[in-house]
Amino acid sequence: MAELSDISLVTQVAVFHNKRAFDQLVRKYQSPVRRFFLNQTLGDEQLSDDLAQETFIKAYVNITKFRGMASFSTWLFRIAYNVHYDYVRSLRQTDDIDTSRAVKNSSVSSDENLKMDLYKALSLLKPDERTCITLQLIDGHQIDKIAEITGIPENTVKSHLRRGKEKMVYYLKQNGYDR
Amino acid sequence: MGMTDKEKIMLEDFFKQAAQQQIEDRGFTERVMQNLPERRVEQVRRLSRLWTIFCGVVGVAMFFLLGGWQVVQGWFLAAVRMTIGWLEIFMVTAPTTEISINPWVVLLVLVFVIIFLPYQTARRLSSAL
Repeated sequence: MAELSDISLVTQVAVFHNKRAFDQLVRKYQSPVRRFFLNQTLGDEQLSDDLAQETFIKAYVNITKFRGMASFSTWLFRIAYNVHYDYVRSLRQTDDIDTSRAVKNSSVSSDENLKMDLYKALSLLKPDERTCITLQLIDGHQIDKIAEITGIPENTVKSHLRRGKEKMVYYLKQNGYDR
Repeated sequence: MGMTDKEKIMLEDFFKQAAQQQIEDRGFTERVMQNLPERRVEQVRRLSRLWTIFCGVVGVAMFFLLGGWQVVQGWFLAAVRMTIGWLEIFMVTAPTTEISINPWVVLLVLVFVIIFLPYQTARRLSSAL
């Protein structure tokens, strides 16, 4: 039903240029998309919102390219992944990524100890491992969907997940989460 | 080496809160909507609308400047004169005794056809559009 509703909203945007329909899509998906970027940028809210905004603008501009082969959510996450990938690549061109930078810079608000722990733990992962881990354990995507979103073969996704989980377990044990 | 059940549960518990996190909108959607670029179709549609308005204004101006109103007025007066002429001929030449049809009935039917039918048709067309 949600899928039908998404497709009808996308049709409204693509065929009738209905901006209200796109407004509804943004409202519906802003939380998971911004959360995805928060996890990738290790809690940098400003950067996450900028990247999320860029994602929605790209989705709007290219909405006629959405063919409905995958769900709208998967298609949107694929754009989000590409936006983040481009951002990481642009950073690599200027300087090496300092993964601890975002953790240090992120604004600390309430119930943040666990969040900080989460971002510290995620900072131990390589970007692809982090993407696979957060897409599975936070956003709840299956391995085939993760492969579809990232364009990485399923076996490589499995390897990223295995290595990422091992690093996470090691971190959690080191920080007393196993007691 | 695979993970133990305890490790799996520990990992799931650690990510559970992050998975439940809902980010409030706080004006994000408005910002996105304000920054949406105009799509090509919208640009073309806007240009087409402007071009139609421009052509309409130029057309109306040319019509009055080049004496179009006088031409239309001339056509209208000629049509009225011609209709009156036809009616006069009809009234003079119409047989009144040989046939049972009253010429006034014919006149009423003509009025109905000339005025009422076009009016009804125009009204239906405008409501359908």
